[in-house]
Amino acid sequence: MFSAVREFFNRREQESAENIFNYTFMKLVSIITFMLLAHHFSFSQAKLFTKTGNITFHSSAALEKIEATNNKVLSVWIPADGKIEFSVLMKGFEFEKALMQEHFNDDYVESDKYPKTTFKGTVEGSKNISLATDGNYSVKVNGSLTMHGVTRQISTPATIKVKNGVASATASFTFLLADYNIKIPSIVADNVSKQILVVVNIPAYQPMN
Amino acid sequence: MRTVKKYILPVVIVLEGLGALYAYKEYNRKPADLTGIAPQEITDVPSMVNLYDSNETKANEKFLGKTVEIKGLVSEVINIEDTLLTVMLGSKEEMHRVSCLLDKEQLVNLKKCKVGQQATIKGICTGFLLDVEMNRCVILNK
Repeated sequence: MFSAVREFFNRREQESAENIFNYTFMKLVSIITFMLLAHHFSFSQAKLFTKTGNITFHSSAALEKIEATNNKVLSVWIPADGKIEFSVLMKGFEFEKALMQEHFNDDYVESDKYPKTTFKGTVEGSKNISLATDGNYSVKVNGSLTMHGVTRQISTPATIKVKNGVASATASFTFLLADYNIKIPSIVADNVSKQILVVVNIPAYQPMN
Repeated sequence: MRTVKKYILPVVIVLEGLGALYAYKEYNRKPADLTGIAPQEITDVPSMVNLYDSNETKANEKFLGKTVEIKGLVSEVINIEDTLLTVMLGSKEEMHRVSCLLDKEQLVNLKKCKVGQQATIKGICTGFLLDVEMNRCVILNK
C-alpha cells in the first residue's frame, strides 16, 4: 500500500513538473515571438536620422576642376511612409582653396542670405525595404530642393543598402546653376562648370529617439 | 627711348612679376589655421544654443561665418578614421548642443578633450541644424 501511495505521489510530482515545464516553455515562446514582432514593427515605424551624412559637389570646367565637401549633413527618413528630408549648411562646404570658398559663400550661393539648402521628398518603394534583411535596394527619390532661395522639383535614383540592421544610402544627381539663380562672373566662366554634379552619401541611419 | 629701356622697363617687369606671384599665391591660398587668429565672438554653450533656439536669424547675424571661441562641457568625442574629428559641447540631456568639427591636424590635441570636462574651442560657425555647427575647429589650452 505504501508503495502504491509512493508511486501515486511520484506520478503526481512528475506530472506537476511536466506541467510547469510546458507552461514555462510556452510562455518563453510567446515572449520571444512578441519581441520579434515588436522589433520588426518598431523598425518599420521608426524615424531614422543622421547628423554625419556627406555631400560633395563637383564642377568640371575647361580651366579647372573644383570640388567641395560637407560632412555634417542632416537627414531624417521614415521608412514606413517613405518621407525623407535633408538639410545642409552652405558655409559647411570645405574647399581646398580659400579664395574659391570665399567666392562660393560671398558671391555665388550668398550663404549669409541663404544659409541652408534643404530637400523634402519621398523614397519610392520605401515600404518594400526590410531593415531586418541585408540587401541592396534601388529606389527613386522625388521631392523639392530649395537652394539660394529657389525651390525646384527634382527626381533622382538612389541606392539604399541594409547590412546588419543598419541602412545606408547613396545618390548622385546634377543641377544647373542658372536654375537656382546662381550667377558666375564672366571672368571666371571657364573656371566653374554651368552644371554641377552632387554626390550624396549617408554612411548610416540610426533610430531617432 | 633709352631711358625707358634702361630704367622703366625693368621696373615694370619686376612689378608685373611680383603681381603675378601675388596672384598665384592668393589663388592657391589654403584656408588659414585658426590657432593664431583672434576670435570675433567669445561665448559659452548655453548662451549660443539659447540664442539659436530662440531666434535663429538674430543668432546668425551674431555668429554665422564668424570665428567663435566657445567654452563648454565635453559630452562626446567622435573620431572617424582619424580624419573626421568631432567634439560635442553641451550636456547630452539638452535638445541642442554645439558640434565642433575639428581640422584633421587637431588629432594630436584631441586627447585634451575628455568627456565630462570643460573645453575651450575656436572655430567658424556655419549655422544651426539639430545642433549649432562649427567647423575648422581648434582646441585651445584654456
